[in-house]
Amino acid sequence: MSLTSPTPTRTETLLSIRGLKVHFPVYGGVLRRKVGAVKAVDGIDLEVRRGETIGLVGESGSGKTTVGRAIINVLKPMYPDVELDGSIEVHSRDGLVQDVNGLGRARMNAFRPKIQMVFQDPFSSLNPRMTVAQLIGRPLELHTKLTRDERRERVESLLERVGLQRSYAERFPHEFSGGQRQRIGIARALSTRPEIIVADEPVSALDVSVQAQVVNLMQELARDFDLSYVFIAHDLSIVYHISDRIAVMYLGNVVEIGSAEQVYMRPRHPYTRALVSAVPHPDPKQRGRQRIRLEGDIPTPMNKPSGCGFRTRCPIAKASCADLPPEVQTVEVGHTVACPHWREMQ
Amino acid sequence: MSADQQNRGDGKPVLQVKDLVTSFQVGTNRAVAVNGVTFDVYEGETLGIVGESGSGKSVTSLSILRLVPDPPGHIDGGQILFEGQDLLQLSYAQMRKVRGAKIAMIFQEPMSSLNPVMKIGAQVAETLQVHSKLSKSEARERAVEVLDAVGIPDARARLDHYPHQFSGGMRQRVMIAMALIAKPKILIADEPTTALDVTIQAQILELMKGLQDDRPETAIILITHDLAVVAETCDRVLVMYGGKVQEVAPIEQLFEDPRHPYTQGLLGSIPDPKHKGEPLPTIPGNVPHILELPVGACRFHSRCPIAEERCRTTEPALTSVGHEHSVRCHLVADGIDTFARMREHAAAPRTEEVR
Amino acid sequence: MGTYFARRMLLMIPTFIGITMLVFAITRFVPGGPIDQMMLKLQEASMESGTDIGGSTMEIPEASLAALKERFGLDLPMWQGYLHWLWDVVRLDLGTSFKFNEPVLDVIVNRFPISIYFGLIGFALAYVVCIPLGVLKAVRHGSKLDVTSSLLIFAGYSIPGWALGAVLLVFLGGQLELVPLGGFRPEGWADMDFWEKVRGQAYHTILPVLAYAAGSFATLTILMKNSLMENLGQDFVRTAFAKGLPERKVIFGHALRNSLIPICTGLGHAIGLIMAGSYLIEKVFNINGIGYLGYNSIVERDYAVVMGVLVINTVLILLGNILSDFLYVLVDPRIRFE
Repeated sequence: MSLTSPTPTRTETLLSIRGLKVHFPVYGGVLRRKVGAVKAVDGIDLEVRRGETIGLVGESGSGKTTVGRAIINVLKPMYPDVELDGSIEVHSRDGLVQDVNGLGRARMNAFRPKIQMVFQDPFSSLNPRMTVAQLIGRPLELHTKLTRDERRERVESLLERVGLQRSYAERFPHEFSGGQRQRIGIARALSTRPEIIVADEPVSALDVSVQAQVVNLMQELARDFDLSYVFIAHDLSIVYHISDRIAVMYLGNVVEIGSAEQVYMRPRHPYTRALVSAVPHPDPKQRGRQRIRLEGDIPTPMNKPSGCGFRTRCPIAKASCADLPPEVQTVEVGHTVACPHWREMQ
Repeated sequence: MSADQQNRGDGKPVLQVKDLVTSFQVGTNRAVAVNGVTFDVYEGETLGIVGESGSGKSVTSLSILRLVPDPPGHIDGGQILFEGQDLLQLSYAQMRKVRGAKIAMIFQEPMSSLNPVMKIGAQVAETLQVHSKLSKSEARERAVEVLDAVGIPDARARLDHYPHQFSGGMRQRVMIAMALIAKPKILIADEPTTALDVTIQAQILELMKGLQDDRPETAIILITHDLAVVAETCDRVLVMYGGKVQEVAPIEQLFEDPRHPYTQGLLGSIPDPKHKGEPLPTIPGNVPHILELPVGACRFHSRCPIAEERCRTTEPALTSVGHEHSVRCHLVADGIDTFARMREHAAAPRTEEVR
Repeated sequence: MGTYFARRMLLMIPTFIGITMLVFAITRFVPGGPIDQMMLKLQEASMESGTDIGGSTMEIPEASLAALKERFGLDLPMWQGYLHWLWDVVRLDLGTSFKFNEPVLDVIVNRFPISIYFGLIGFALAYVVCIPLGVLKAVRHGSKLDVTSSLLIFAGYSIPGWALGAVLLVFLGGQLELVPLGGFRPEGWADMDFWEKVRGQAYHTILPVLAYAAGSFATLTILMKNSLMENLGQDFVRTAFAKGLPERKVIFGHALRNSLIPICTGLGHAIGLIMAGSYLIEKVFNINGIGYLGYNSIVERDYAVVMGVLVINTVLILLGNILSDFLYVLVDPRIRFE
């Protein structure tokens, strides 16, 4: 897939996120009344199509990790007082449609196998006392009726599939290097034959030479199993490489969404443009290139600016940007920008 | 980082590291983290030291200031020549006069690298107070100037703030101010932007560039795993693997004509927008544990796609292949085009990539 | 911040009510209460005098029984009794001791200075010895001094304070006669001149204080050592060395300040313990402190005193916890309670 050969258009909806809000209430005062909320995700719409990889990028505090957690529906168990709004519809292969946003444990169980997660830190996400066979076999035990021997066989073939030896099944996580652990994490996610995998910074803890191996593996698996990824990362060059489409987040909102080419090569939102121009290039000749500098730091999601969240750092901010959330405009087919003034950035 | 790169060749070395060996006690074994590292740092240049985990890049930088925790670490040998003295021979008191005053250092985690219960004004001024006879109020005045220079808004008012009241990027600016206040000749930056967001990283790298505009003779040693950051900032690069320097070259040279198979592999594994979606070239295998590094052989041979028998039996020497360009590889020393070999190998059908 | 502490103060109320209600209920249900004891006394008295009031089984006239019940507040249902008691406490009336026939408050206040005296001295001694010792052990980690002092410390830690006190008392007091065998002050106190008083008091103080402090010696020293060791490994210590600071300044100016945080906050919790005294140590040394009082009042079912000691200790411990939080805010700028 190079620039000239267009990526096959995917049309079948797999995940449909509408108006998702994730607010963490903040309590204060003598009586511990709710005095505010950390608006980690503040109303986003996002569609993931079957077989596509959608990259979710943004800096710390953008809410990208929270979106991932909302999709795998672990926010309620982690933070019981979290306030969820909006819907996350899963259109599964067997024709079932279900809103999983905050879905209760019992009803979620039917959907857990379809939505899996790969974490950033492959070591802390693997229980050190369990063998690889137990780690990968655990989801199978919970979600399938396979016998012990069938499970074992599945585990070993999964190990082989992610590029590890079958005999590794009896080893413990600490016996592996970072890259191998991430392969184990991927095998575990694959074990239930998921339709979508949420990968939260899956390569950022790995050494440079190992990152490429894991990225290649993930791409192969996506093709072979018709998988969709929600690929959450801060490294734009890797996100561009692996994603069909990219959504850029800032302070809980999606500010720009489009095909990978559209967003990375022809960014329109002032934030995306600054973000892309800040990415260092592995080419010393490009050193002098024009940069869009952003002043200051990202505000905390607790004190989110009114109107457009980006206006405090935006080079083209107007007084009117403080009034209302920015209107979403279409740049071209499939490319939208949450900024009415984007043309001024040309 | 200096605009006029020609200056560098005529410059004289401010720091010469010769055959540095630093090891650590790991259980009952001695792990040699830095194994005979030699390099020069020139006045006014920015030298990048690149490597993955376990390459020895950070231990090298800590060894220069003798900050390796001993035990379990120990500098076993070599010389570090600075201003006509071997830093490794200095007494403890003499070494203190170098640290912070002549050679300063900043670290990866700006939060944990600042004392959480001390006001930043005091922390910044402290560097100056130990190295000069300035009074407390004079040192504070200087602190305001430096904090202002590194882009802390409203610096005077922020003297009495604590580190947790600053954002990550601002904390790294404070660290830089603290390192620069005594006007050192060399600034060692160990992964200074790794913990920061991309837009903040760009700000900090720009700040470090600007620093040499004001004081052109200051040399910077930038330790990083990120080749793109190196490309943006450095004049010369040292590529380390397994505790040894594998390749040294001026920046354009390294990116245009990398000779060592490891350097080629590292550069190749960075996604290239022109080849979006295609399988990335990879270096096979995993970064070996420090105790499992090959001995008496090329350190990289176990992962090198084009390794030959001699790579397994004898250790290559660092060989000059051009102006300021040296490579530690048997094949390169014999004039073999490693790049072509790597391509042939990549084209050939592969069986098992992961070991 | 103010609201945080206001909220903590308010939260003391339900905690206080919960604790006192529980103990109040226990005093109602446990056999051997004041009425039983009164009856026992009457029985003994009648047996001695040989008169038989009501045949083989003891019968107290209904009227006197009712009077007794009223006197001890037992005529009301439990919850009413509790509310009455609570109302009295709010008005600082802790009732009257059945044994001493004095207001409970007076009984307690009379003994307070004794417990505070030993508690404070032991506490101060522990801090004065343990902090420098802990620092020294951290800086010279693995040295002979570190290892031998650890041995002593753990020996001290594994022996309960009262047992250590008893052993020392038998050996130093009984065998060698270096120290008195107990009591708070020497006999003939009133006739002594100042220096005699000081010496006498010191003799009577050494062993109980040692017994008091032995346990906290170990925990405090090791806490100090570990806390400092942990901080010496922190990145900011490396930064301090990289600045060129001398080791002394790095340790005392940077690392120690951070490692004193857990020690300072321990002060608040210690307040409650200092005041509470120790039953067993006071018993061993025959010192008439709060611990001894509390212990005896339980044995003798002097419930007004039991509840009184409970009230004072509960309030002190709860206040101590808040004090700890407050100290936290003072010493660690990162902590802001909202």
